[in-house]
Amino acid sequence: MAELALDIQNLEKRYPTGVEALRGVSIEIEEGAFYGLLGPNGAGKSTLIHCTTGLAQPTGGSIEIFGHDAIDNYAEARQAVGLAPQEPNIDWFLTVEETLDYHAGYFGMPRRDRRERTRELLETFSLTEKRDERTRTLSGGMKRRLILARAMMHRPRLLILDEPTAGVDVELRLELWHYVQKINQEGTTILLTTHYLEEAEQLCDRIAFIAEGQIVAEGTSPELAERFEVPNLEDAYLALVGRKELSRSHIELAPEVEA
Amino acid sequence: MSAAQIRFATLWRREVNRFMKIKKQTIGAPLLETFLYITVFGAALGSRIKHLHGIDYVLFVIPGLIMMAFSTNAFSNNSSSILQQKFQGAIQDQLSSPASPAELLLAFSLGGFMRGLMVAVLTFLVSVILVGLPVEHVLVLVPSLFLVGFFFSQLGVLIGVRAEQFDDVAFAQTFVLQPLIFLGGVFYSAALLPQPFETLTRFNPLFYMINLVRYGFVGFSEVSIALSLLALTAATTALFLFNLRLFSRGYRLRA
Repeated sequence: MAELALDIQNLEKRYPTGVEALRGVSIEIEEGAFYGLLGPNGAGKSTLIHCTTGLAQPTGGSIEIFGHDAIDNYAEARQAVGLAPQEPNIDWFLTVEETLDYHAGYFGMPRRDRRERTRELLETFSLTEKRDERTRTLSGGMKRRLILARAMMHRPRLLILDEPTAGVDVELRLELWHYVQKINQEGTTILLTTHYLEEAEQLCDRIAFIAEGQIVAEGTSPELAERFEVPNLEDAYLALVGRKELSRSHIELAPEVEA
Repeated sequence: MSAAQIRFATLWRREVNRFMKIKKQTIGAPLLETFLYITVFGAALGSRIKHLHGIDYVLFVIPGLIMMAFSTNAFSNNSSSILQQKFQGAIQDQLSSPASPAELLLAFSLGGFMRGLMVAVLTFLVSVILVGLPVEHVLVLVPSLFLVGFFFSQLGVLIGVRAEQFDDVAFAQTFVLQPLIFLGGVFYSAALLPQPFETLTRFNPLFYMINLVRYGFVGFSEVSIALSLLALTAATTALFLFNLRLFSRGYRLRA
């Protein structure tokens, strides 16, 4: 069996307001896997990611990243993780190039390595021409490219993508798909949350459904469809959220399309 | 350099880079403000008051102005920087890095310290050229200014971490810090005040800081130097340890 990239056991998170965002979540992701985490808004996906990356503090359970406890050995654990968050959280004072350079510095990369890696990722994400621009002047799509590039700067072994394609154009979405598939094939483990089910179906080896702070189902896309006794992942998801009536199988095609 | 050294240097560089990018606001404006004070209190009031405790009035005032420039810049830099980064979410990039709570706290602290130091040193140099500001006790002056700068850096960090909106920072600066500085004896001697104001002034911690710095420059103090240094060291250490506890717990930084 491959080493576990992420081993989460009985994770609990109760906010000071009393809200229980995670209620005993357990997930095991093998090294090299492409793992999808699906669930409706407020299900606990982002909280789980925040607990894994040190942005939130669990109130129970354990998280290990490549064998390093995310609390007791946080430095080693975080060194292995790259996070592209849902909301673009970039510093308005910095340029595009500085954003990448500083991030790499926070992870202890030497200057020469930072320069080479910055050049490489600016090129990969079509940001070279914007390298000296302040981040606040970037378009939404460019900001999304930048936070993806930033997440990959320190060559993380586990890349966490929290709804990376939300609100991006088709071109960037496909570019991203190609890129993450490539780095996954090269050995990077990927944890993806998304609301686009076809994205999860196409990219992920295994998928977990999370609802109300609990993992309610886990498996490959066909396994999940079988578990919910439906033909595909989308219908399995609709069954999970109790909205089977929205299934595409109930949509009547327009007459001209039928013809 | 080790990975930890690169990390700390980057965290610190980011803080310095932030205020240097807007240096008209962060360095130029405080310098202008300080020189306006020197002009008004030195040239205008100084021509009437002449001397305080045997010291030229302008020389009596300038040490307090240097200390005020150091402290307010250290404070406002750190409180604004942390709150802005919290507001933008950009602080998450640092919080999710391998940096320890102590590294993060020290880097944030040193950003404001550097800005305060730059304004204070520039003010000092110009004061030496314009009015011949002396340095009578360098061994008191250097540690005193270091402690004052570090204390207010820590205070800025504390307010920045606690703040949830820009109004919180403005409130601390305008309604707490400024009155304490102005009523701490920058422009006057406590001995000249009527009771109960003279006694009340001695309850103001800024009074002791101003006197330490004034003693370092012109050799005059209304308080015990040893006791003031000891108290300032204790207060700065306590504030640093308190902030370290907040950073370790992730108070208002980590959910």
